[in-house]
Amino acid sequence: MGIRKLALVGALAVASMSAFYVSARAEDVKITVWSLDRDIQPAPNLIKDFNNLKTGITVEYRQIQFDDVVSEAMRAYSTGQAPDIIAVDNPEHALFSSRGAFLDLTDMISQSSVVKPANYYPGPLKSVMWKDRYFGIPKATNTIALYYNKDMFKAKGLDPAKPPQTWAELVDTARKLTDPAKNVYGITFSAKANEEGTFQFLPWAQMGGGGYDKINTPGAVKALQTWKTIIDEKLASRDTLTRSQWDSTGTFNSGNAAMAISGPWELDRMVKEAKFDWGVALLPLPEADAKRSSAMGDFNWAIFANSKHPKEAFKVLEYFVSQDSRMFKDFGQLPARSDLAIPPTGQPLKDAALKVFQEQLKFAQPRGPHPAWPKISKAIQDAIQAALSGQMSAQEALDQADKKIKAVLG
Amino acid sequence: MSIALRDKLMLMVAVLLAAVYLFPLYWMYVTALKTGSAMFASPPSFWPSDPQWSIYGSVWESRNVGRYLWNSFVIASGAVSLIVILGTGCAYVLARYRNAWVDVGLFLILMLQVLPASLMITPIFVGFSQLGLLDYPRVAVILAIAAKSMPFFVVLVRAAFMSVPMELEEAALVDGNSRFGAFFHIVLPLARNGILVSAILIFMQAFGEFVYSKSMIQAIEYQPASVGLNSFMGPNTNEWNNIMAYAAMYVTPILAIFVLLQRRIVSGLTSGALK
Amino acid sequence: MRRLLLSIRDGRGFDIGLVSVPLIFLFAMAGLPLIYNIVMSFQEVDMFSLGTFARPFVGFKNYITLFSQPETWPILGNTAIFVVASIAGQFTIGFALALFFWTGFPGSSWLRGLFLVSWVMPGLVVGAIWNWILSGDFGVLNFLLKESGLVAANIFWRSDPNFSLWAVVIANIWLGISFNMILLSVGLSAIPQDLYEAAELDGANVVQRFYTITLPMMRSSIGALVALGLIFTLQQFDLFAAITAGGPNNSSNVAQYWAWDLSFRQYDFAQGATISVIMIVFVMFASVVYVRSTRHEVRG
Repeated sequence: MGIRKLALVGALAVASMSAFYVSARAEDVKITVWSLDRDIQPAPNLIKDFNNLKTGITVEYRQIQFDDVVSEAMRAYSTGQAPDIIAVDNPEHALFSSRGAFLDLTDMISQSSVVKPANYYPGPLKSVMWKDRYFGIPKATNTIALYYNKDMFKAKGLDPAKPPQTWAELVDTARKLTDPAKNVYGITFSAKANEEGTFQFLPWAQMGGGGYDKINTPGAVKALQTWKTIIDEKLASRDTLTRSQWDSTGTFNSGNAAMAISGPWELDRMVKEAKFDWGVALLPLPEADAKRSSAMGDFNWAIFANSKHPKEAFKVLEYFVSQDSRMFKDFGQLPARSDLAIPPTGQPLKDAALKVFQEQLKFAQPRGPHPAWPKISKAIQDAIQAALSGQMSAQEALDQADKKIKAVLG
Repeated sequence: MSIALRDKLMLMVAVLLAAVYLFPLYWMYVTALKTGSAMFASPPSFWPSDPQWSIYGSVWESRNVGRYLWNSFVIASGAVSLIVILGTGCAYVLARYRNAWVDVGLFLILMLQVLPASLMITPIFVGFSQLGLLDYPRVAVILAIAAKSMPFFVVLVRAAFMSVPMELEEAALVDGNSRFGAFFHIVLPLARNGILVSAILIFMQAFGEFVYSKSMIQAIEYQPASVGLNSFMGPNTNEWNNIMAYAAMYVTPILAIFVLLQRRIVSGLTSGALK
Repeated sequence: MRRLLLSIRDGRGFDIGLVSVPLIFLFAMAGLPLIYNIVMSFQEVDMFSLGTFARPFVGFKNYITLFSQPETWPILGNTAIFVVASIAGQFTIGFALALFFWTGFPGSSWLRGLFLVSWVMPGLVVGAIWNWILSGDFGVLNFLLKESGLVAANIFWRSDPNFSLWAVVIANIWLGISFNMILLSVGLSAIPQDLYEAAELDGANVVQRFYTITLPMMRSSIGALVALGLIFTLQQFDLFAAITAGGPNNSSNVAQYWAWDLSFRQYDFAQGATISVIMIVFVMFASVVYVRSTRHEVRG
């Protein structure tokens, strides 16, 4: 389906809603939405637009912090104060749907003319599912890839058109680019002891033939060993262990790291701050012919099971979905949809990067879904940190993680 | 060594110590003035070559700092009033007697503040939601902060009452005053300094309260400055210079009040009114 | 009825009224949540049964699970190190400063006032500032240490398991200096000057005077300080969240942060509550110390 057609459908959906509600204007239905979007991100702006349509539904918005999303949500849910709609991080979706806290949207989706499962990338779609039913709608998606500083490549005699393809090449390139005298590290990424660390490491394990349910395969061990080499040889700052992806990439933008592993959420800042020529490449593979894989990030929309106005809440979600084509242009986020062609922004670096991310997205895999994901993730984080801080070998650390994960999986 | 020389030397040492101690504060102000990439510069510069003074204006505008500060002020004032009203009498009684019951009372008061707010918030939230208090979020936060800070206040003010000679109160009672009258006319005025100073210290703490406000105040119009600061500290939003600029605007008013009042605070604390 | 009214105005009832209202308030606001935590540590809890007390009881199962985890003892050990090192550092520096300013020189009271600044700063802000100062590559502390020749290479305060706990201790000591210094100053100024004059006449030197007069007279101040200091350090949470998040690999994790992490990151509320019960036992000990120290108080 082309954009124009979709926009038409969206407009029709909104029009039909407004037509239906003109008669019922006397008392607006109030829908509350919680998400972590700030003023320059989608949710508050889409809500503003939606309220201006005067459909008889008034949406109220509350911004919550990334760290607080789940704790706030369940505290509110267990005391009957939950909002109607919430945006949750995709690995945590199963936690709620498996316990019946989210509304099963399967029937509403099958009747909807706006929300069509076929339009979505398989990874994001899988993350909203539990036992073959839909408990949410992907809000946006993202993944990670390799940013690299082309100017530094040239300065060190490397070909900026040939970014590293394999892990061995990556380490080798990082060695050549590291320049302590100039305070330049070869690469930066995040191995922080929170979900970000898991998010960054899991794709490596998957490329190595592992996964969260088999984290100690030889390929995954080799992945962690590669990370360890990078830290031990000071090709990346030791603060990689405590620094978030955003802070790490900040050092890339300021010219203190020659490569960075991060996602498309960095693009706008990088265009503004990076005073050099840069490019984006697919994540390097263990061997040239290995299977690609990538992380899948970003949030999903869901309706709480105890919402008093599920129908109206779904209408609000339909409106959000109908605006998916604006996501990249206006807010720099990637819609989780394969049917939307994203128009060029006119900013060549950004457009080139977008192509790589869209390619990488094809290989994106959700974390889980599993209701005890936080525990699984914690075991992986502990292993990464134990190995990188030198307290265990990569093999020992991942063996221990595997044991913990197997205990959780039962 | 002459007295004058000794004084000069001591003053120099004191200034040096203060400089070391105040360095983190200085660093906050300086970082706020740096550009995005100057923050990551190595070696760090101690005075930015290109200070971004405009950042204060832009952060103030875009973050609505004024409203947040006002909310902090309202919440802190409410909590302090409640604490002073409830805690002063309690401290007075605990200072007046010396027996096993007083021991139990002091023990309980200390025990009750053992857990960090981050662990207390869930039960408090559940309780408040059942009482319907969450519909008045600022009242709810004031109550929670009052409970959290009261033990500290009681311990300090109890010490202030300890320094009021018992004989004065007894004399007043002999003169025909009721206990009520003796407390309000004799004891309270004498311990006034200690109470005031303790209240100021509590106010400053309450002004920075974060955990309760974050969870209980959902409407952005009522949130205090700490929550406002946190709302742009999440992942993908760590704009350190903006954070530092916000932090500077946040603490500067309290610092200003504090510098104005500090002689009084320090002398009130050290003149024996509070021991 | 009249008798009761009279008693409230003028008698035992006056005292009981003054004490009981705040105690009831405190019990409702702090005691009940505490009990909620204790009850929870004996139950099987999940995130959707937070709003009710009716949950299956499991006896000591949570405690057994907790102590069978390999990280439990190291984390409790870290907590002990954190508490002892923080209090020792705060107390020593605070006491030294209090003595220094107590000698009195022009400007001493004004300068002493400046040392209250860390009390004024919200924890969130302090955490953000120290996070920035302690950063490995761009941190100003490393820069100063390297320039002064004390260290040869950058110390990764936040990311090196040998230093991460100490990074938080440093920040926490800074935070606690003001509180210690000011309460100790108060204690010092209450010591009658003539005691020193008499001792000086007896030929006691500075050190002897310190041990025979200053320390004994300060007993109650010190007792209160150590008890309050213990509670404040056990409550310290913002600094961990801002500087190391307990990492790397739990090397800077402490009980209070771990309890939060288990409850709100891994949604294991029962385990979180179990740790908080262990902390309560710790603080009970501190409260006893404080209450005992008040026995030596002299009424003015």
